[in-house]
Amino acid sequence: MNDQGMSAVEEAGYLPGPFAGLAGRQVVVHRAWGETVAVALPVLDEAQARSLCAHIRARARDTLRGMETARIVAAIDRASACLLDRTHPSRRKAEALLPVVTGYDPETVRLGLTRYLKTFRRPQLLRFLAEDFSDPGVLDGFRPAVKGGFVRARGPDLLLHVWAGNVPALPLWSLVAGLLVKAGSIGKLASAEPLTAGWFAQAVAEADPELGECLAMTWWKGGEGGVETTFLEAADCVMAYGGDATLSALRARVPVSTRFLPHGHRIGFAMIGREALDSRRAAAAAQAAAQDVVRYEQQGCYAPQMLFVERGGPVAPDEFARHLAHALAALAARHPRRHLDPGEGAAIAAWRSGHEMRALDDAGTVLLGDPEDSWSVVHLDAPVPLSPSGLNRTVAVVAVDDLAEVPALVAPHRAYLQSAGLAAAPARLFSLAEDLAAAGVTRIAALGRMTAPEAGWHHDGRFSLLDLVTVTEIEASAEAAADDVAPYAE
Amino acid sequence: MSQAEIVEALIDFIGRPGADEAEFEAMALRLFAHQYAHNAPYRRFAQARGRTPLAVRRWRDIPAVPIKAFKDLTLSCCPADEAERVFMTSGTTGSGRGRSYHPTLAVYDRSMLEGFAARVMRGRDTIRMGFLFPDEAALPNSSLAHYLALARERFGTPDSAVFVGPGGLDLDGLLAALAEAETSGEPYALLGATYAFVPVMDALAPQGRRIALPSGSFLFDTGGFKGQSREIEPDAFYDGLSQTFGVPREACLNMYGMTELSTQFYDDGNAACPPVKSGPHWIRSRVVDPLTGRDLPEGETGVLVHHDLAHFNSVSAILTEDAGVIVPGGFQLLGRVEGSASRGCSVAVAEFLAAAQG
Repeated sequence: MNDQGMSAVEEAGYLPGPFAGLAGRQVVVHRAWGETVAVALPVLDEAQARSLCAHIRARARDTLRGMETARIVAAIDRASACLLDRTHPSRRKAEALLPVVTGYDPETVRLGLTRYLKTFRRPQLLRFLAEDFSDPGVLDGFRPAVKGGFVRARGPDLLLHVWAGNVPALPLWSLVAGLLVKAGSIGKLASAEPLTAGWFAQAVAEADPELGECLAMTWWKGGEGGVETTFLEAADCVMAYGGDATLSALRARVPVSTRFLPHGHRIGFAMIGREALDSRRAAAAAQAAAQDVVRYEQQGCYAPQMLFVERGGPVAPDEFARHLAHALAALAARHPRRHLDPGEGAAIAAWRSGHEMRALDDAGTVLLGDPEDSWSVVHLDAPVPLSPSGLNRTVAVVAVDDLAEVPALVAPHRAYLQSAGLAAAPARLFSLAEDLAAAGVTRIAALGRMTAPEAGWHHDGRFSLLDLVTVTEIEASAEAAADDVAPYAE
Repeated sequence: MSQAEIVEALIDFIGRPGADEAEFEAMALRLFAHQYAHNAPYRRFAQARGRTPLAVRRWRDIPAVPIKAFKDLTLSCCPADEAERVFMTSGTTGSGRGRSYHPTLAVYDRSMLEGFAARVMRGRDTIRMGFLFPDEAALPNSSLAHYLALARERFGTPDSAVFVGPGGLDLDGLLAALAEAETSGEPYALLGATYAFVPVMDALAPQGRRIALPSGSFLFDTGGFKGQSREIEPDAFYDGLSQTFGVPREACLNMYGMTELSTQFYDDGNAACPPVKSGPHWIRSRVVDPLTGRDLPEGETGVLVHHDLAHFNSVSAILTEDAGVIVPGGFQLLGRVEGSASRGCSVAVAEFLAAAQG
C-alpha cells in the first residue's frame, strides 16, 4: 500500500461548485489490516440542504435536460476510465483506502473495482440503455411509438439515492442509472463505504463540469428527521438500499406522490446438478462456488449462502462439501478474511453451534472447518428450506435427490430472493429457470459469477432505468388533430 | 456419585462461603463427570469438542453449551419426565422454548435464598414486597415466578402482594400499597420484570405523581424489556425509576438470571451504568471469544460463559448470548450479542427470522 493519504483525513463526498467547502464534517475512523484511515463525511444543515436541493433541481432542468444522452455516456465513460487507470490518483487512493475502510482484502478490492468499473464503459452503457429502451432516443426527445403517436421519457428532476453497505462501489449502479436518465442526483453516502461515490462524482465533474453541477454526494445520520426530512421531501424519486427496518422507516416518511424504489437485503443460493459433479468438473465447480462465497465475504445480496447439490453424480454431495472446504481453505491464504467484529463472530458462532447441536442427534449433519478457520462448511444430508448462513465464508451444502426440489425449498422466501447460481446442462437450465422465476428468483448466473452481475442487469428484477422515468405520449389523435389545424390544412 | 450425594455435596458447598477456586474446580470436575455420564446429548457435545472428563483438568476447559441448545436438546441427567419441575424460557425470541429440568428444587431454592439474602436483603429479615410479575400459579414454568415466590415466602411480610394478574397490571392496588408505605414510613420493596416498570412510570408521569418511598426501600428489576414494553436506555430507566418512586439509584437493584441457570447475579445498585455484576462462590464466569470459545484477556469484551455448580442436573457450563467484560469484582453486562446484520446487502439471520415471524 502506498503512503498517500494515510495520515491525512480523507474528505468523502462531493458537492457542486457553490457548495464546495461549505459543509460541516463528521470524521469517522476506520481500522483494518494494521492501518487507520480517517474519513470526513460532509454534513449539511437544513438551510444548506434546502438550497442544495434547489440548486441541483435547477441545474438539472436548465442544463442536464438539454444534454444529449451520448454526451452523458461519454462523461461516465471518461470517469470510469480514470478509476480504471491504476496510475490515476483517485484509483490509487481507492486501492489504498478501501481495504482499510471496508475491511476487504486489498486484492479483492482491486479486482472487484476493475471488474465493476468495466461495466460502466461506453459499450456497456449503451447496452444498459438498450436493455431498458428499445429506442434510447426517447431520453433525448419525442420518438415515434410503435402503436402510433410519439413518446418521450424523462427522469426525475431530483433523484435521491440512499446508499448502504460496505461492498465497494455498489452505489455506482444507481448513480449511473440516474445520470443516464438525466436526473439531478443527490446521494447519501453509505457510512460503511463512503468514498467511491464521491470519487466517481468528482471524475464525472472533471470529465464534464456542467454535468458535475447536477450531482451531490453528502451524508446525514439516518432516522433522525431534520436534514433527512428536507431531502426526502424535496426529491421526486427516492432510491433506497438497506434492510427491512431502514426501508420501512424511510418509506413512511416519503411523501405519497414521490416514487420510492427500495432495494432490500437479499439471500443468494446456488444449485449444482449431477452432470456438473463428475470427477473432472466437481473440483472446478467447488472452486467457482468458493469464489462466490469469498468475494466480499457474502455481504453482497448476490452471494450464495446455501448450495443445493444433487445426488446421483459420480461425486456425492458430501464429497462436494469437502471439495468446497478445500477450495475455501486454499482461498484463505490469498484472500484473508476481514477482521470480524464481535457481532459477526457471534453470528458465525450461532450458525456453527446450531449445526453442531444438530450433528449430535443426526449423523447426516457434518460440520467442516474448525472455529479457528476463516471458513466453515456444513453438509446437510436432507433437504432443508433456504436459510441464511452465518455469512463471512460460512455456507451450507444441502443434498437433494433432484434439483427440481429446490424451487419449493426457496419459494417461501420469495421476498428475499434474487440471485441463484446454477450449474446444470442446457435443457435443465431452462426448465429449472422457469420454476426459479416462479419462485421469485430474478437472476441466474454461472457459479463463480454470482458476485459480478453483467452490464445492464436488472437489479432485483426491475428495470433500473425504466423505473426512474416518466413517459409523455403524444397520442396519434393529437398528431392527427394538429394536422387539421396546420397552415397547410385543406 | 448418586444424585442424592450430589445434592448433599452442593448444599454443603453453598453453605461454605470460604470455598476457593481449587474447591470450586474439584466440584466442577465431579459434576462434569456426572453430567457427562448421565446427560447423553451433552456427552456427545463434549466428545465432539474433544473435551471428555479424562481430558479436562480445569473448570475453564469444561465445554460450555450454547443456550440455544436448551431449546433443541433435552439436557437432563435424570429422565425428563421424572423432573419435579421444568423451567422454560419465555420464548419471546426465536422459535421454541429452552427448558431446564430440575429433579428437585432443593439446590435451586438454597442457591436463590442464599444469594437473595446476601445481595438483596443485606442483613434485613423481612420487608413488605410488591411484585410486578405474575405469581407461580399463573406461570408454573417460569423460573422467575418461582424465584419471586421464594422471595415473598421467605423475606416478604404478610401484607406483600402481587400486582400483575390475569387482567394485567393492578395499578390502583399498587398505588394504594405505595401510598400506605409512604404514610407508614416502613421500607417497601417493589420487584418485577424490567418491562413491567415501564407502564407504571408511564401511568404516573402524566399525573405528575411522584411517590416518595420511605428510606430503606428498594426497587428490583430483572430480565430487560424483551419487546414487552418500549426500550429505555439504562440511565434513563433508572433515572425514571428513581424519580417516580423516590428511591435513589443506588437502591435500584438489577438481578441477572436465566432459566438455564440455578444461580443469579446481582449488582449493588445502579448509581452508574453498567454496574458491576457478581454472583456467589458457587458460580463463576468467563468472557470468551464466541467463535473459538477461548478465554479473552481480562478487560476485553466478549461473550459470557457462566459455570453454575447449582445447575447440576442439566449442564453447569453455558455459553450465553450476553456480551460482557471482566472487571474487578465481577463483570459488566454490555447487552446482547446478536449476530450482527450484514454490512452489505445480504440477508442475515436476524432479519430473516424477524420476517419469518411476521
